[in-house]
Parts: sequence; structure tokens; C-alpha cells
Amino acid sequence: MKALIRKDAYVLWKQVKLLFIGVLFMATLGGAFNSIFIVVWSSMLPYTAIAYDERSHWDQLAAMMPYTKRDLVLSKYVMGWACMSISVALSLVIQTAASRFMDISADPKLLIMSFFMGTLALDITLPLVFCLGVEKGRLVFMAVIFGTAILGGIVLEAAGYVQIPSLPGFGIAAAAAVIATAVSIPLSMKLYHVK
Amino acid sequence: MNAIELSHICKSFGGFAIQDLSLRVPSGCICGLVGENGAGKSTTIRLIMNALRPDSGTASVLGVDVNSPEFRDVKEDVGVVLDEAYYPETLTAEQVGRVMADTYRRWSQKQYDNYLDRFNLPKKKQFKDFSRGMKMKLAIAAALSHAPKLLLLDEATSGLDPIVRDEVLELFNEFTREEDHSILISSHILSDLEKLCDYIAFLHQGRLLFCDEKDRLLDTYGIFAGTAEQLESLREEAVVGREANGYGGVRALVRRSEVPAGLELERAGVEDIILFMVKGAR
Repeated sequence: MKALIRKDAYVLWKQVKLLFIGVLFMATLGGAFNSIFIVVWSSMLPYTAIAYDERSHWDQLAAMMPYTKRDLVLSKYVMGWACMSISVALSLVIQTAASRFMDISADPKLLIMSFFMGTLALDITLPLVFCLGVEKGRLVFMAVIFGTAILGGIVLEAAGYVQIPSLPGFGIAAAAAVIATAVSIPLSMKLYHVK
Repeated sequence: MNAIELSHICKSFGGFAIQDLSLRVPSGCICGLVGENGAGKSTTIRLIMNALRPDSGTASVLGVDVNSPEFRDVKEDVGVVLDEAYYPETLTAEQVGRVMADTYRRWSQKQYDNYLDRFNLPKKKQFKDFSRGMKMKLAIAAALSHAPKLLLLDEATSGLDPIVRDEVLELFNEFTREEDHSILISSHILSDLEKLCDYIAFLHQGRLLFCDEKDRLLDTYGIFAGTAEQLESLREEAVVGREANGYGGVRALVRRSEVPAGLELERAGVEDIILFMVKGAR
């Protein structure tokens, strides 16, 4: 799997640089929506890698190499988690630094909550993308990503919630992300096989 | 031991089907897989590597059933070059090397670098800016750099200029100097196969028409050139395929064993044998 993650990292390097700029911009804007949006948006990057794979027919070559189906599927999840982790860490550093000069505050709990939401978005959309391909899966994916970010952000802001999540809410989100991941990975492996 | 063994493989795709395909490539041999576009050559290679599941039949590579868990380890011993080099277009040759180093346990970076130098491939240029010939050379370099025992080559020499093609064929010849090294190569360039192969397998519309030693094939068949009347005088079983030669006469592929001993025949090349067989089948 290390080889597949390395390949995706090379493929995505330009997008990761854009992500850095995006995080820098969004993190300094402050607000729940912006924090959630950038983390959830970073969960999109594995789809870009899948789009490159599809365009080059990498799957056909990969099927001839000593990779397992588990490696091929799991590597995309790992990329998603890695990209979201980078976003969370960078946002935290930037918001902490910016809070000295601007009227914003770093909110680690909100960022971790964003990570759980991004994980949920990844868990819902990746099996669809493995099944339908990036072109068709992209529509569902966009609806889920923007739905998650916009709804999550708007609801949290409307609730005047800047210091949440509460502990139970945090636990529920974490449990939902873990359960969704546990269902999503085997489902993706099944759908990848069908493809 | 057979490097590749397919037994009664069937695979249907609706409009096209591989039908009862049985093929054996002995270890240490080079087998050429010949056939028209859409005859099933690429499908056969995918079936061999278990990238496609057959509807029925069994396949083994280097003595291991392709459906067994052990086949993953066998893939370490198989170098594959497909009809295109399917690496993501933003990668460079250097990055492909690093990815392959993490993929294959016996990857030799030194050998890979030597091939890149030998093929004059730039290390830092993105794959999308490579010509087709350069892409194929990169795929060949990657396939040869992890100490494989079996090479599966699907149109691997297409797109290469004659000089590089000759060099690549020599590489493949060098590869089989090790007695347990084998190659299955599909190509439209029959002259390459005639030069390289010990065995020729001919797929036509999803069926294997023959798989035989090249020398035996060349000994079995000859080209008759003469008049239609002379050809008619031969036994029906002797004639495999025929065509008008454009000067009022006919040319035909005949079985040497079925024609009178004194009859003068031209040497039939692999290309003649295949073309007449296809015409005969039509």
C-alpha cells in the first residue's frame, strides 16, 4: 500500500499545494462554515487521484501487479484521512498564529468535528465513486460534500455555536465516523470488485 | 514445468467470447500470441494475471493457480507490459521508479537507471510529455527491473522505431538466456515474432486455432504457386488457404505431408501461415 500512497502523493502534489493556500485563506476568515468547509473539501483530493487513475487506465496495470484489492481501496481512504489531517493541523496552526493579530480564535474541537464530518462524507461517497466512476460519482459527491459543509456550518453558526461541540455531540460524531468507515471500506471493496 | 497453463478457459462478454482456450507455455520458452484486432489477445493476458475472472476453466502461472492466495507472491515474478504504459500522466520516470521500488521486493534501482540511460529516457520529464515509443520503453524498463521470471508483453514493441525495436527484441532474447525465464508476447509485427519466438499461438475470434513450435510450423507448411488446375489436382486436405496471385495463377498454403514429394514449394513464413489460415477460416 505504501507504493499506492506514494503514487497518489506524487499525483496530488500540485493539489496539495493549492490546499495549503486554501487553508491559509479559509482559516484566517474564521467561522464554523469556513473551518468545516476547508477540511471537508480536502477530503475531495482522493477523487482527483481516482480521476487521474481512470484517465491513465492505471487500474488495468495495477491489477497485474502484486497489489491486493484491499490495498487499492484502502489507499484512497488513507489519502483522504491524510489530507484532512493536514488541513486540521494547518488550520489549527494558522488560526492560533492569526488569533494574535486578528479577531478569530482557534477551535481544535470544531476542527476535529470537521474531520469527523469529512470522514463521513468520504465514507458515503467513495463507494459510489468506486462503483460509478469519477464522472458520475462526482455529482453525488458534490451534493454530499457541499451538503455536509453548508448544512453543518450553517446549523452550527445559527445555533450560535462557537465553542461547541459538546461532549455527547463529539462522541456521537466520532462513533458515526467509525461506524460509517467500518461499513464503507468493505462496501467499496465489493463495489471495486464489481467494476 | 509450464510457465503458463490455461485449461479450457471460457469468458463471455456478450458480443465476444473466449472459447475453450487451452494454452501451455513451457518454462524457458518464448511464445508469440498472434491474432487480429479483437481476437482476444489482451483478454487472454488479463485472464492469465487473474485481472479477469473466467466463466469456466483454470489458469496457473509458474505452477501456481491464479485463484490461490499464493498468486500474489507469484506476481512478483511476472513483468507485464500492456499495449499502453498505464502510469498516471503527471508522474516522471524517476517517480515511477520510486513507486515500483515500494511495489516489488526485488526491485533493482540500479538496473532501472541503467535501462533509462540505455533508452535515453529523461528522468524528470512528466509522463504525459513522452512520445508513445518513450512510454513503451519506460514500461519495458519497469517490467525488467524487478528480476521477473516471466514476461507478459501485450503489443510491447508497437510504436517503437525499427532500431529501438531491434534493441528491445535483443533484450528479450537476453532475458530468456536464463533457462527458467519465459515470455508470452502478443504482437501484430509477425516478423518480430518469427525472429524471437520458439512457439506461436494463433487466436482467431476467441478460439485458439493452434499453438505449436515455430520450427515445426515452418516445416509443416509450404507455399504452392501455380495454376488453378495444378492446385485442384492436389488433395483437398492439403490446401489450407488460397488466393489469386494477380497474374492469372494462384498461391496457396499447403501441408507438405499431403502433397506429392516432388512438388516444388516456397518456404512459408509465420505471416503467410497466419494470413492463409485467416482467409481459410473465412
